[in-house]
Amino acid sequence: MYANQVRNTDCRRIMSAPDDNITSDHTQLASHFFGELLDSVIMDVASECHRIARLGLDRNLDDEEEELRLSAEARARIADPSNSEVNSKYVVDIFGQTHPAVAAEIFDCMNCGRSIVAGRFAPHLEKCMGKGRKARVKATRSSTAAAAHNR
Amino acid sequence: MRASIKRPPTPDAEEEDEDREPTLEEIINIKLIESGEKERLKELLRERLNECGWKDEMKSLCRSFTRKKGRNNVTVDDLVHLITPKGRAAVPDSVKAELLQRIRSFLHSTAL
Repeated sequence: MYANQVRNTDCRRIMSAPDDNITSDHTQLASHFFGELLDSVIMDVASECHRIARLGLDRNLDDEEEELRLSAEARARIADPSNSEVNSKYVVDIFGQTHPAVAAEIFDCMNCGRSIVAGRFAPHLEKCMGKGRKARVKATRSSTAAAAHNR
Repeated sequence: MRASIKRPPTPDAEEEDEDREPTLEEIINIKLIESGEKERLKELLRERLNECGWKDEMKSLCRSFTRKKGRNNVTVDDLVHLITPKGRAAVPDSVKAELLQRIRSFLHSTAL
């Protein structure tokens, strides 16, 4: 809209126009610059995620596949009634209740928000919050620069 | 015969561009950058988007895309195209309002 025609005199003329005009110009310009800043931030995030993906810094995506598979398996085992009869670990508690070998309740992990079967919660947490035994690989720029070897 | 290795002529259009008057946007952009305000605004935006979990949302989108496509097949372009529309829509109104207000004050203070 302003292309090729704005000279200093034009600038002054626009600036001294009635307040309404200035406000709407400012609003348009502000939106334009906000858009630019946002796109720039989006670019940075995409770049960072790309780097994490390519360098395998995110907790191993293969692990996630494995975990999802095991979780589904656990769920299947619970749903299958024939399992309960065969299971030798079946113990009757003082109320006469029996409990399945794999804790059946499904709830949401408070860390990542995924639906997890209670029986698989411990291994899930291990990976979700950082491995208990293996050293955790942090996927942030600053900590890779600082190098975990400083510990 | 070998193909000609003559260098193509320099396009004249480039000289024309330098004579063109800067647009209002360009003028203000330069002022933003030179005063350091653009960098401050970007940092502010980054901080707000982090605080409200926007960045985590975007990272999670990227992660699930990466899982599906395979981590060595993902390009930056893929991710940019993935999160740009969702990213733009997911900015909280309060964050947008704060940034717009800051930008408007800057415009007000330098334009007059």
